[in-house]
Amino acid sequence: MNFPLIFKRLLALFACAGLLAFASARLLAAEAEHEAPAAGAAADAHMEGAAIHHTVVSAEAKNPTYFEQFLYSYLTAFMFCLSIVMGGMFLVIVHYLFDAGWSVPIRRINEQIAALIPWMWGFSAPILLFAPEVYPWWNIDPATDHALNVKKILFNPISFRVLLMAIFGLWTFMAFRFRKWSIAQDKDGAAIWSRKCRFQAAWGIYAFAFSLTVVVFLLMKSLMHQFFSTMYGVYYFAGSVWTTLATVYGIMRFLEKRELKGVIFKNTVHFLGTLFFAFTVFYAYIHFSQYFLIWNAAIPEETFWYVKREAGSWWGVGMLILFGHFFFPFLVLLRIDTKMSMVTMGPMIVWAWLMHYADMTFNVMPVLYPNGLHLTLWDPICWFGLAGFLAWRFWRNYKSAAPYPLKDPRLKEALNHHEVPAPGAAAAHH
Amino acid sequence: MSATAKTYGLLAQFDTAAGIFEAALKVRDAGYKKWDVFTPFPIHGMDEAMGLKSSKVGYFTICGGVTGFFTGMTMIWFMNMFDYGLVVGGKPLFTPLFAFPVSYELTILLSAFATLFGMLVLNRLPKLYNPLFKVARFKAATDDKFFICIEAADPKFAEAKAVLENAGATAIEIVED
Repeated sequence: MNFPLIFKRLLALFACAGLLAFASARLLAAEAEHEAPAAGAAADAHMEGAAIHHTVVSAEAKNPTYFEQFLYSYLTAFMFCLSIVMGGMFLVIVHYLFDAGWSVPIRRINEQIAALIPWMWGFSAPILLFAPEVYPWWNIDPATDHALNVKKILFNPISFRVLLMAIFGLWTFMAFRFRKWSIAQDKDGAAIWSRKCRFQAAWGIYAFAFSLTVVVFLLMKSLMHQFFSTMYGVYYFAGSVWTTLATVYGIMRFLEKRELKGVIFKNTVHFLGTLFFAFTVFYAYIHFSQYFLIWNAAIPEETFWYVKREAGSWWGVGMLILFGHFFFPFLVLLRIDTKMSMVTMGPMIVWAWLMHYADMTFNVMPVLYPNGLHLTLWDPICWFGLAGFLAWRFWRNYKSAAPYPLKDPRLKEALNHHEVPAPGAAAAHH
Repeated sequence: MSATAKTYGLLAQFDTAAGIFEAALKVRDAGYKKWDVFTPFPIHGMDEAMGLKSSKVGYFTICGGVTGFFTGMTMIWFMNMFDYGLVVGGKPLFTPLFAFPVSYELTILLSAFATLFGMLVLNRLPKLYNPLFKVARFKAATDDKFFICIEAADPKFAEAKAVLENAGATAIEIVED
């Protein structure tokens, strides 16, 4: 099968396009530099307007520079990719926490997805380098902004850089150890590797929850630093695992007749589909709760965030998330058979990516385009560049080790699911 | 037992879970419709081995859920807007937003009720009497033995004894109504 080769070339192309886009963005930024001070002042005025008058449509809707457009598209794509990588980490952790048996055959996929985290560490460089051009709070004096003043412990250049570096380091450490121990077990089948992983999963789930929240606060929530939401971290997490489950489902079905031949059963497909369905509901529950509490309390420091996201076509994007991210998949996936057939799940996976991208856009982009949804070429370039590169690395890594944990002590449980012969075939079954 | 007692069916005993699983496949493939399996614990794959289709109880659940959701919405709309409009916290008289938590709870509640009662209806429960209770050895179905009962009402009942023997039954007896 020559699929991987075409795949590789296509991905290399996308990666090149991404690099090219990045290089040209720098050049364009120089041209647009003189606009920067004016833009900063406008941002200040805008923030004040938001805090005091809760203006829906900003009067000073300026044209963002190409470089700003690139940075925001890049941030959106980065948050999208990060959610899949960290979703993989979560699935590994939760597998060990529950000492699960059925998910052993797909654990290597999750481990390899999680082990992409050092690449995300590298890809965070443009955001760290050009943070002053991405985050409005960077250029505001905390003494003049009450909201920033009370949050300056977190939202200051040093915390921002140190925390991000430290957390990406921690994630790399965790993901590499999970994968290393799991691969070590392929050789000797010793239970000690499972125990080590289980111990790391036990403290790892706390580290995961807190660190992911901090990273999401810094990278995405701080775009509108006045906003308060204790649910923001779990909101990102819910959408993240949802998208990862769709992705892992797709990879599993693709490998079902290849590398994973003989270890994927109807049960495995059913369970993974059900988990995807569960996270469809969980995401809706979390996002509704965040919206509902803010709507009900009607405190200006919180409502402005959603008020801005009702301006212009952002209202339509919000509705798309409500109906497309929840109601449509919910109704489609209610039945057992739709969760197990690629006829429905294939399009659903693509739909899930699209919806998650819409969700990330909904979080990031209104800062740059207050009047409504505005897509540029940077969006597909950044998305395909990052996602394509990661998919290529994933495939390389996945091929370099056993396709599933060969000697995991729980593998037997996954393989024990009795495949019942169809009527008439009982005689052949012995 | 009276001499006029009607035959209810044939009860066959098996000693292992694997044994009854294979036997169920054979009874299924022989084309029987009115029969059942009794085991002390659930056996994975038994539904399929018996040729049972996915349960219909889900349809009861979704009907209950949809009813619950719209009951919640209608109730709050009726009480807060239609019957006695009351402004609370400067919010609109009605919006699906604040009606949603209650509708959601009612969705869950009525889904659960519909599931429970749908299950009882489909299983024809409660049923206070079953001829199998008269068979002494049947008590072991809750301990360490496995049973298949083919009812006399099944059109292929005539060959049932041979099928069960062939399937490896360790004991077979006639159950009277």
